[in-house]
Formats: sequence, structure tokens, C-alpha cells
Amino acid sequence: MDRNKISAVEHYLPPPPPALSSDFVLARLGAYWRALGVSNPDQIAALSEQALRRAAESPESPGLDPLARILITAGELLNDWLARTLDLPRPSRELAAARAALLSGAVPDWPAALFAAPGEAGGLLDALRVAIAEPTPPPSPGIMPVQRIDLFWLLGPLHRLWHPELRA
Amino acid sequence: MTQIVQPPIMGHTLRRVVFFLLVLLTTLVAMGLMVSVFQTDGLSPMELILLLLYAILFSWICISFWTAFMGFFVILTGRDRWSISRQPGPAPDPTVPPPRTAILMPIYNEDSERVFAGLRAIHQSLADTGQLVGFDFFVLSDTRDPEVWVEEELRWQDMVRALDGKGRIFYRNRPENTSRKSGNLEDFCTRWGGHYRYMIVLDADSIMKGETLVEMVRLMERHPGVALIQTPPVPINRESLFARILQFAGSLYGRMFTAGLNYWQLGESNYWGHNAIIRIQPFLDHCGLPKLPGREPFGGEILSHDFVEAALLRRAGWEVWLAYDLEGSYEEIPPTLIDYAKRDRRWCQGNLQHLRLTLSHGFNAMSRLHFSMGVMSYLASPLWLLFLIATGIGAYFQTQHEPVYFFGENWAPVWPVSFAVEMTTVLLVTLTMLFLPKGLALLLLLKDGRLRRAYGGMFKATLSVVLETLFSVLTAPVLMLFQTKFVLAILMRRAVGWPPQQRGDHMTSFREAALTHGGQMLIGIVAGVLSYQYVPAFFWWFTPVLLGLGLAIPVSMLSSSIALGRQSRELELFLTPEETERPVVLRYLEENLEEDEPALPVLREKSASRFVQVLTDPYVNALHLSLLPEREPPGKRHRHYLEGLVHQLEEEGPDSLSAAQKRDLIADPDMLPRLHALFWSRPPAKVGMVP
Repeated sequence: MDRNKISAVEHYLPPPPPALSSDFVLARLGAYWRALGVSNPDQIAALSEQALRRAAESPESPGLDPLARILITAGELLNDWLARTLDLPRPSRELAAARAALLSGAVPDWPAALFAAPGEAGGLLDALRVAIAEPTPPPSPGIMPVQRIDLFWLLGPLHRLWHPELRA
Repeated sequence: MTQIVQPPIMGHTLRRVVFFLLVLLTTLVAMGLMVSVFQTDGLSPMELILLLLYAILFSWICISFWTAFMGFFVILTGRDRWSISRQPGPAPDPTVPPPRTAILMPIYNEDSERVFAGLRAIHQSLADTGQLVGFDFFVLSDTRDPEVWVEEELRWQDMVRALDGKGRIFYRNRPENTSRKSGNLEDFCTRWGGHYRYMIVLDADSIMKGETLVEMVRLMERHPGVALIQTPPVPINRESLFARILQFAGSLYGRMFTAGLNYWQLGESNYWGHNAIIRIQPFLDHCGLPKLPGREPFGGEILSHDFVEAALLRRAGWEVWLAYDLEGSYEEIPPTLIDYAKRDRRWCQGNLQHLRLTLSHGFNAMSRLHFSMGVMSYLASPLWLLFLIATGIGAYFQTQHEPVYFFGENWAPVWPVSFAVEMTTVLLVTLTMLFLPKGLALLLLLKDGRLRRAYGGMFKATLSVVLETLFSVLTAPVLMLFQTKFVLAILMRRAVGWPPQQRGDHMTSFREAALTHGGQMLIGIVAGVLSYQYVPAFFWWFTPVLLGLGLAIPVSMLSSSIALGRQSRELELFLTPEETERPVVLRYLEENLEEDEPALPVLREKSASRFVQVLTDPYVNALHLSLLPEREPPGKRHRHYLEGLVHQLEEEGPDSLSAAQKRDLIADPDMLPRLHALFWSRPPAKVGMVP
């Protein structure tokens, strides 16, 4: 048997490259920012730099390759900004809903708000607040007690005769 | 919150007395004729069995016949002062705030596009009435399939955007679908029920006119002692020949039957599970369903929960009505004979479970009757089969008797007494009871010119009734064997599970038809050969049944044909008023289904896999994450399980994961951002779906 002929099965997701080049990291980050709706190269560069800096400061996450960790950090930058400007707790469903609203296309020029000076992006933020989905109303709970159903059994009438309290 | 029971009204009691007397008398007359045939030389055990079976089956037919007759009478005279819509009620209390109503659509792995197109049509129709403000919409998803789950979320968002429905159109997916549909509704009631006075329960294929919804709320407001009003859903929208025939029958005969049901059931009517309005507080107080002791199929969760909920409301003194004269309530039906049988299989188990409830302590007599009728609707089939077999065996033994003409020293022959007249009378009475309602429904068309034209005119409607009757004669033996098989399987404790329904039009292939009906055809051929060989006289009486079984495969295939369905429509056969003049709400549905410009950009692109999209697309990922319920962090074991799935996904791709595994992955709020980052961190050329 010629063992040289056996090749590893190709993985669906290829394994991460052994060494990350900065060009590769910036290319992936750039693609990701563009997918989020940031198209201005300067803004992309600034955001990527922030993400890289923050990822370097954060502790390593077990089971995550470095690039995935940087991408998660990039997403967290966005969450931070949303939580801060909309005054939302984090992590929370409200924050996730705000992020979904931001990325839904309801506020097309949101990167402008991200880079605007505090207080200058009020209109955009109002539009964002309107676009945040409410999947369910606030709870208004009720109690639904389980009902008793006494199934018929042949000796039931006799049983009830013996235990008069059951007839009530 | 138990309602004080009103004293029985004289008119109500009189109606029931008349109805049950008619059923009893007709059954007794038919039984008398049968006994006169059998009793010449005493009743043999076989004759006794036949008599017993005939008594059960004939009384069942009688209930149906007299219900139809009462309905005929009510519609003909146009007088029904006890119908819920005509009863006066107290003026609304001005100090009580106007009611809020939740429109609930429980779904389970359904076609999301159709579900949301339907819900939008209802919303649009309600908006036309100007009463939208009193209603909220809930899509209560029990969907397990991850692809359908993500699609539902996107469709919901699209609907909210398109209709400006924020805070009015809601969606949630249950992490566990405990107790199936009844559990789904219970979850709504216990979490958000306090916001609303009423809920209108729909099915995934239900459509209701806005005016009807408003009228239902108005009726509930007018009758504070009523807990539930059921509307009769009219079958619509299918194009296959099978479904069009059923739609025609359901539409033409259905209104007569529902009017008849209301005639004698009145405020002790039943709940059919959807297209009904329910007062939430009594539902909360009295409809928490217990698990039945024992294991499936008779024990465990109550499957046909609707009958039981109606019985529990009645037990607590609340009224349950059938508003037969409320129009604008629609549903879609299975498109083929095989799909129809599959639906029967699910319903059969639920209805047979009611056998245990029929004699349970505390239910009202009418509720017991509803349970029994539900059971009989499936038990009738094996009983008919037994009756046919017993008749055949009886006829065979008859042929083995040599007639004796000379007794003792009599020189003159003693001719055997002929009971042909009595037997023919019995047969004719039975056939009349079965088929006369169809004629009565046709007669009603003579009264109403507009309706007559809506059914294609008197000639086309009559021709359609004749063809429908022939079709039902052909399919009845097939359904009899199907239902007998289902009943036997359930009695042998083979549970049915909760398979989703195939609702859209589609053709039955030869393979599917042969696999499904092959055994039935074989039974038909064997029964035909045996009866022709041993009881030739019986064979000819038996031919309608034999023909139905022998032709099961071609009938099933041909009737599933959409082309034949369309052709029959061009010929103006099996027309229904909803086809002749489309109600606006159905036109909305059509437009919504044809619309190819969703408000949500992501829906404009066709996605091969919503599962992959939820991992790759930042918006879909964020939306899905925002809709996940808050939950306790999973234990170590579950985390390891999820890690294992991530590795499998990395190495072997999404196709290697089962639907349940995919669901587990995207149901975890911690895993979702990690998977998203993972998909974006790998070289794009090979991943193929990330730019």
C-alpha cells in the first residue's frame, strides 16, 4: 500500500493559515466592515485599527483562532457604540435587536453617525430606534391551572360511593 | 371564574327533543324492517351481529341526515332566532375599555411564504375595516426545521416593515414544543394573555375577512356568557381535481350542515381548533389540559385538544357557539387523496383518545356526544367493513341452504317467503339518508339566484353534484380501508407523532399511488373474485365498493391532477362562490404570493440555505440572535456537544449535520457570534459564500 497516495480529506472550512499576515487580516477585516455597511476606506481603516488594538488587549479565547477573535472584537466595537448611544444594557436582546436594525438597511448611512461628533447624529439614531424590532410585547402573565379529568373506569362509581368526598 | 349556568330555554330543549326523536324513530323504523327480514326462523348469531352493526351505523347516518334536514329547513325559511348572531344582548358597558384581541397563528414547519402572505392578507383586510387598532398579530412558531425557522424570522421582519407593524405584529419560536399546538397556545396565554380580552385562533392555512374578525369580537362583547364562537371555515384555493371536488362539496353542503348543527347544538356547540374566537380569561381558568394517564396512543398528551377545551368550558358553565351564518372564514384542504388520508391519520388518533373521555366524570351530555361523534367519525369505517364482511358471509350461508318446498304430508308446495321488498326498502332508505342531503342543498340554490349563479347555474351545479356523488362513491371504500387501517394501528399502540402537513398542490406519482393503494386494490380484486365465485348475487350489490378499490390507483392519480382541476373549472364544474367572485381578502393573498419585491433586501436574494446564511450574513445573524429567548448558560456536557458539532461543521460541512443538530447550533446565543466569526475568518475562495 502506497501511503503517499492517501491525502487528507478536504475540509469544508479550510484550517486557518499557520501564520497570519497583516495584509490578510486587514483584507478580511475590510471585507467584514463592508458587509456591515461601511464603504469609506478611511473609516474601514480606522475601525480595523481599533479592532486590532482591542483584540491585542483582550485575553485569548480558547478554541478560537486569532482572526476569528479579531472579527468578534470588530463586532463588539459596534455593540459598544450601540449600547452607549442608545443606552442599552449589554449583552441583551435589545442590543442584538438594535444591531439587527442597524444592519437591516433601515438606516443606510449609519457609519456617518458612528463617526459623528456626540449630539450630531440625532436624526439617524431616531431612525434607528424606530427600526428596532419588538418580537413580543412586554409580559402580562396569566395562570392556567391544569384541569382535573376523572377518566371512566368500571369500578369508579363504587370508588366514589366509598369516598363521598370525591363526589363533590 | 365559573359562569352561572342559565336555566335551559324551552325553545332549546324542544329543538333537541325533536331532533333526537326523529333520529330515534327513523332508526327504529329501519331496524323494524331489518328484523322482519331476519325473524322468520329466529335470529341467528350472525344476524344479531348484522342487526347490531346496522343499528349503530344507521343511527350515525340518521344524525347526519337530520342535521342536514334541519339546516335545510333553517336556510329555506331564513328563520333562526336562536342563532348567536341574531340574539340581542345587553348594550356594551361604556366604563369598560374597548377590547383588545390577539390574532394567533400557531405554525409548525410550514411554508413560510404562504403563512405570511395569508397573515398579511388578513391584516390588509382588517385595515380596510378601519378597526386594526384593536387587534395584534402573533405568529406562534413551534418550527423545528432550522431552514424554515430562519425563513420565518425574515418573513416576519419583512411583514413588520411592509405594514409598519412594529409593536403590533409579533413573532416567537418556542425552544421546546411541549404539548404541541395546545402547549403553544397555552404558552401565549400564560405569557401575554393578560393584554387581551379575546384571542382568535387561526391555522397555518386559515384566511379570515377583516369584517368577520370585527363581527366576532362584536358578538363576544354582546354575549358575556359566551366563551367561544366557532366560525365554519369554507375550503378554498386548491386547484387539483380532488381538492376542487371537496371544496365544492364543503361549500355547497357545508353551510346546510353547519346551520343544522347549530339548530340542535346551540350554546353547547364544539370547537374545531381554528377560525374561532375565545374569551381568554375563562380559557386560562378552565382549559389547562392534563396529561392522560397511560402511554400513547390513548394516554399522554391530549392530541385533539379542541373538543376537550370546548367540553371544559361547557363544564364550567360557559357557552360555546357555532356562528354558521358568519361568512368570510376560509381554510385550505389537502390537495390529494393521499394527503387527505395522512391528515386523517393524525386526527384519528386524537379522536380515538376521546373514547376515554366520553364517560369521564363531570362533562355535559352534549360534550359527551361531541366526543362520541368524533370517535364515530373514524370508528364508522371499520364498522362498515365488518358489516360488509358479515353481510357477505351471511349471503354465502344463505346460498348453502337448499330450499324445501314440501313439509310432512302436505301435498301442496310451501313457497319460501320473499323479503325482497323489505330488503329493497332498507337499502333505499339508507341510500336516501345518505344522498338526499345533496339534493336538498341543490334545492336551496333555487331560492337564491345570486348563489345559484355563483355555483355556475342550476344545470352546472346539478351536474357537479352528480359527479361529486360518483366520486365520493368511488373514494368511500378507499377511505374506509385507510381509516380501518389507522384505527387498527392505533389500537395496536402505534403512535402517529406530529408530522408536518404537505399543504401545497402537487401531483401523486404512479409510484406513490401504487405503494399507497396497491394493497387496497389487491383486497378489492380478491374480494371481487371470492364474491363472484361463491356469492354471485352478492357480487353485483358489492360492485360499487369493488370498483372503488379496483380503481384506487388511477382515481388517486387522476384526481390529484392540477390540469384536470383547471379544466373542470373552465367547464364551470365544481364552482364555488369564492372561485366565481374572489373575496377581497383572497385577492390580497394572491397578490402577496405573487409579489416579488419584499421590503427586506435579504429576501430578494434567493438563498440556497438559510442555515448557512444565518452564519454568514451579518444582518440575518444579528436578527436571529435578537430573537433567541434568554436562557440559562448550558452545562458542560451540552457545551462539549456543541463544540463537537462546530468541528463537524468545519470539517464536513452543513450537509453532514441533521436538522436537529443545526437547530442546536443556531439556538445557542453564545455559539452564534463565534460561528459567524469562524465563517468570516477563513479564506473566502474556498468558503464560497463569504465575500
